[in-house]
Parts: sequence; structure tokens; C-alpha cells
Amino acid sequence: MTNVQAPALSLRGLTKRFGRTLAVDRIDLDIPAGSFYGVVGPNGAGKTTTLSMATGLLQPDAGGVAVLGVDLWSSPEVAKPLLGVLPDGLHTFDRLTGGELISYAGRLRGLDKETVRRRRDDLLAALDLEDAGRTLVMDYSAGMTKKIGLACALVHAPRVLVLDEPFEAVDPVSAGAIRGILESFVGTGGTVVLSSHVMALVERLCDHVAVVGGGRVLAAGTLDEVRGGADDLEGRFVELVGDGREQRDLTWLRLS
Amino acid sequence: MVAAVVGVRLRTAWHLVRREWWRGVVAGLGLLWMLVMLPWLIWGQAVLADQGASVRGDLLVAAVAILTLGWVVVPLVLSGLDDTLDPSRFRALGVSARTIMPGITVAAFLTLPALFVGGALGILGLSWRASGGAVLAVAIAGLALAHGCLVLAARVSAAWGARVLSSRRAKLATFTALACALAAAAPVAYVLFRDGLTAVIEADLDPLLARLGGTPLGAGVAAPERAAAGDWWGAAWRLGLQAGWLVLLHAAWRDTVAHQLVSPLGRGGGAQRRHDRILEPVRTLIHPRDPATAAVHARLIRAWVSDPRYLASLAGVLLLPVTFFALVVPVFDLDRRWAYVVPVVLAATIGWGRHNDVAFDSTALWLDLVSGRLGQAVMRGRLAASASWALPLILVTALAVIAWAGRWDHAPGLLGACIGVLGVSLGVAAVSGVVIPYRAPAPGASPFGSEVGAVGAGLVAQLASSAVLAVLVPLVLLPFVLSLTVAPAWGWVACVVGAVAGVAGYAGGVRGAGAIYDRRAGALLAAVA
Repeated sequence: MTNVQAPALSLRGLTKRFGRTLAVDRIDLDIPAGSFYGVVGPNGAGKTTTLSMATGLLQPDAGGVAVLGVDLWSSPEVAKPLLGVLPDGLHTFDRLTGGELISYAGRLRGLDKETVRRRRDDLLAALDLEDAGRTLVMDYSAGMTKKIGLACALVHAPRVLVLDEPFEAVDPVSAGAIRGILESFVGTGGTVVLSSHVMALVERLCDHVAVVGGGRVLAAGTLDEVRGGADDLEGRFVELVGDGREQRDLTWLRLS
Repeated sequence: MVAAVVGVRLRTAWHLVRREWWRGVVAGLGLLWMLVMLPWLIWGQAVLADQGASVRGDLLVAAVAILTLGWVVVPLVLSGLDDTLDPSRFRALGVSARTIMPGITVAAFLTLPALFVGGALGILGLSWRASGGAVLAVAIAGLALAHGCLVLAARVSAAWGARVLSSRRAKLATFTALACALAAAAPVAYVLFRDGLTAVIEADLDPLLARLGGTPLGAGVAAPERAAAGDWWGAAWRLGLQAGWLVLLHAAWRDTVAHQLVSPLGRGGGAQRRHDRILEPVRTLIHPRDPATAAVHARLIRAWVSDPRYLASLAGVLLLPVTFFALVVPVFDLDRRWAYVVPVVLAATIGWGRHNDVAFDSTALWLDLVSGRLGQAVMRGRLAASASWALPLILVTALAVIAWAGRWDHAPGLLGACIGVLGVSLGVAAVSGVVIPYRAPAPGASPFGSEVGAVGAGLVAQLASSAVLAVLVPLVLLPFVLSLTVAPAWGWVACVVGAVAGVAGYAGGVRGAGAIYDRRAGALLAAVA
């Protein structure tokens, strides 16, 4: 059903309006299969809205999404199993334990009990959550909740991972483990799309990047193409997004 | 600080109305209803003014006592209180309970229902003007204090209810509350059964109202009657009692606010669970085989035994048979066969109560949505979880009622009718839950809270699902009613029709709701967030 030549994720004319606010404005973006793709942008740029539409969580007003050549909105039963999703800022079923939440995600994906049990234990160990596997998710810290969400995204071995701020609130040791898992995933042909505000992280992990601002793609391509002549991604990001704000001096904040 | 806190409340309401126009329409309809009630209140005030002081006092005491009980109970069983100023929202600001209490107290009185009840009591209080200015002043003071108690009692009951249901002993607390309700109703029921309603009214109503006039439920309202009789000392201590109760309620509320500022609801206290109940589910009457359906079913079974929001629904539903047996049957001196209403209404209430079931997942719904086209599986799992406990409960209640009535020949008809009503109402609720979901208390929030306007949105969904059930349930019940009124042979027809309608309603609900769920998958998250 999938097209091996097709981009992992293809967004065409994706548009979303909330009342009078145009959150996403006709975004076109192709994310190559096998890439580690970073989506960066200032707060309110439309990253989360775009990723929500790209993963079936939010109906676009216009435009389409294809996952490995399969139209997400007309054939969700084929496209969604290809995706692993970690959204940002949403609740989880927090009256389940961490282990149960992974099992739940696996069973929703149609995996048999034995496979789920094995993968659940592997994921808990890989993400350093073995001790917390029997604790209710409602008692987890923000970082642990993020890690268990990532485990849910991975349990069915998807072809494309879409992760919204996967490293937020995660401690450095766990972040290292997650980086290892994601790099290995890409190394074996998987595709990772992640959004982040941390330019250094995107530069370190990603081979492709898109800069989103004002609901549009301002630049997209390989890391070198987007960086252009700038020293680093952050410099190019500020150049693209613009920093026209007047720097107000908070004199009242000074202690001396 | 009062102005700042009240300002937040009013601005939030204004912004929500600007963002979602229908909230304004619902608020406008509420205002219109209040305006329609105004002439009736003025007429009632004139009628009261024509009565003697004793009758006027008794009527007002009875009205305020019933209103107060309603304000305490309704938020716990039907719809929540406005929680725009939920104290937990102030947690990050580092303010003390003492700082925010004046503001949230004033804001509690600025909701439309509180303003309306305050205005209504004020108008009815004017009926004391014929007894002179001093008595009128006592009446207004007494009614104002009673109004204050009513509003604060609702806050305290909701806050305590949420605190108890969020504890690790939530199940125990729920059933203890039910046992207490039963224990409180039992003596009333006993007296009503023994003497009948007419005799009780003749013999006990006056003493009961006089007694209420000496308790916080009616002391302030009873004060003007004592003043009109020249018993100023009696009026003074009643006002003092009402004022003392108001202070006590405010202190109790402040205590819960202080607790909420430092103790988030909805933590599990580090509880550990040995078994993975998704892979090794608890055995229930229904155990789905499809992996996704079984997972949703297992998750919802966990919610039904541990989530305060589900436990609150359960407690509300189970209060129905208690009320019916303890009050309705004896008050109206009904034939025992009227008890057949209990399992039937219980079935309809349980089913109807799930009309916003999907929204209880809040934004955690994302996991179901990203996992495929799972509408059928999700809705089948959800309904199966409700039916897993509701079906045995309804059947046991129906058999108990038949045993009590001693008419086993009615068993097939009643059992069929109950199954039919439960299946149809669950099916209708499933469709309503995906067509018109409205914002429910989020996981970890007070189960008795509702955001500004959510009450209105809920009203639309509640009315729509009620209207559909009002059409379908009588059709299911018709053969059973015929078996009681025309010929017993209709009982077997009722049994078959009920079973078929129940299964068809249930399966149709799953199928219809599942299809709509899939079609609306991209809009559901926004609708419940």
C-alpha cells in the first residue's frame, strides 16, 4: 500500500484558521523518508498545529497530508499505523500505570498480548522507567510522562515518528538514551520528525530542518542548505524569523 | 485583590462568550427565563403578603430549606459549579487562602443562578412589609444570610466531595455516602410508610417547619415571624444562628481552599499496581476479544473503580432507588407495582448519564485518535465497560423489586423492559457523546466543577439526548405497560421486544457512534479540550 519512493510525510497546502487567527497558512513540505527532520519556529509559529494536522489529531481547513504516499485523512486505517506520535501538552490516561499505558497503546495498534508484554518491558528498560512501570502515570514527573509517551509512540514499531518537543523536561541521562533510540531508528530506515525550540539539539541530531514562522515555511532543506552562510542555525533562525522587538531594559529587576 | 479576582472571573466569561457565540445565546436564554419568572415572583410575593405571618413564615422556611438542600446536592449529582476561579489555578502565584478568599467569595455570588436566587428571595422577602419596617428589615437580613449560606454550602459540599473522591479511599467514601443517605432517609420513609402522607402533613409538618426554623436550614427565614409576633429575642438568636452558620461555612470553605492551594487533587499517592490490567483484565460480564476494544474496555473499567469523576456519576445514579423507595413510594402511597419504575428509571439514568462519556477522556483522547480508524472499537469498549456493571445491577434491582412486590409473573416483562431501556439509552448516549460532546472536568480536576458556559453546552446535549430517549423509551416500555394493564400475555412480548430493542439499541449505538467518531476524528479533540 505504501510507496517506498514517496516522502515519509508530505504536506500540501495545509491550512488552519482559529476564528480570526490564521494559524497555518498553506504549508507545503516534503519530509524525505529516512531523514531526521527538525521543525523549528518561535512560539505561536504554528508548529504544533501543523504537526497535529499531520498526525490526524486536527482536521485541516484545507490541504492534504500523505504518509509514505498514503493519504492520511482519506485512508487513516492505512496511514496511521505507519505513524508513531508524541504530542505536547496533552493529557494521558493517567489512571493507568506506565506499563499499562504502553500495553494500552500496543493493544490499540492490534498487537498480540505476548508481543506487547515483551516490547513493554524492553521500552521500560530502555527509557529507564523499570522502577516506575507499576506506578500510576498521574504520579509521574513531566519528564517521566514525556518518556512514557515516547514509549507509546514506539511500541508498534512505526515507520515515521512525529515528536512534538520530545526532550522537554527530560533529564540529560534520559535524553541521551532517547537520542540513541532515535538515531538507531533513523539508521535502520525510519524517519523522525521532531519539533524543538533548542537549536543546538536540532543541529546535533537532524540532517534536515524546516523553519516555520507566522504559519508558513520560511526555509526548508538539509541543515547546510537552511544554514546558508550563517555561522549556526540559531543565527539563521533569528535572521529568518526576525527579532524586531525593542529590548526593554528591566531596571526594576536589578538587585544592585 | 477583590476587584482583581472578580475582574478575572468576569473577563474570562466575556472572553469565552466572544470566542464561542453560543455561550452568549445560552446565557441570554437563561436571562430570558429569569425575566419570565419575574412576574410570577411578584405575584407570589403579593399572595404571601396576604397570608398571616405564621403561614408566610412557614412557606418561606420550607422554600429556603428545599432550595438549600438542592444547592448542596445538585452540583454533586447533576451538573457542576462554575470553577473559573478554582483555587488550584492560583497555586503557582504563591498567594494565601486569606488573600484570595474575599475575591472568590464575591465571585461565587456573581454567577447567574446565585444572582437569580438572591433576587427572588429579596422579592419574596418584601412580603413582610405589611408587618412594619423593623420586621421587614429582619426579613431582609435573615433572607440575605440564608442566601449566603446556600451559596457557600454548595461550594463546601462540592469541595469536600471532590476531596473525598480524590482520596485513595474513594470507593469506600462513595459507598459510605450512599449508606449515610440511606440511613438519613430510612426514618422518614418509615414514618411515611407507617402513617401515610396526609397524616404526616397534618400531624408533623407544622412541628417540622418549626424545628427547621431553629436550625441553620431555616433560622434566618423564620426570624421575621418571631419579630412580627413581638418575640424580638427569638428573632435575634435566629439571625445570630444563621450568621454563625454562615461564618462556619466560610471557614470550612477557606480551609478547603487553603488545602487546594498546596495539595493538588488527583495524585495517586505513589500507589503501585502489581498486575497489568490491560493485558490481564479483571473478569467482567462482558469481555471483548478484539485487542483495541478489550484495551478500551479494560481502561474504562479502571476508571469506573478509581476515577473520582466516574465515581461521582455512580453515586448520583445509585441515589435514585434510595430516593424512590424512601420518599416517593410512601409519600404518594403507591402500590408496590410502582416500584417497577426503579429499575427502569435506573437503566435510563445510567444510559443517559453517559451522554458525554467521550469528553471524560479530555485531551488524553489523542492516543485513541492517532492509533488508527478505531471508532467502532473505542465505542464498543466504552459501552461494554458501562454495561459490565450496569446490566447486572439493573437485573438484580429488577429481581429484587419483583421479589418485594411478590409478582414473579411480571419478571419476564420487567427484565425485558429493563434490558431494552438500558441498551437503547446507552446507544443514544454513545451517539450524543460523539455528536455533541462538551467540556467535562479534566482528569485530576474536581468532578463537581464546570467551566463558564459548559453548563449551557451541557444543557443542549442533555436536552437533545433526553428528547430522543423520551421518544424511544416509551416505545420499548409499551408492551410491559400493556402486560400490567391489559393482559399478562403481553409480558412475554415485552421480554422479547425489550431484549431485541436493547441489543439493537446497543449495537446500533456502537455502530452509529463509531462511524461518527471516525468521521469527526479530526474535530473531537478540539471539542473536548
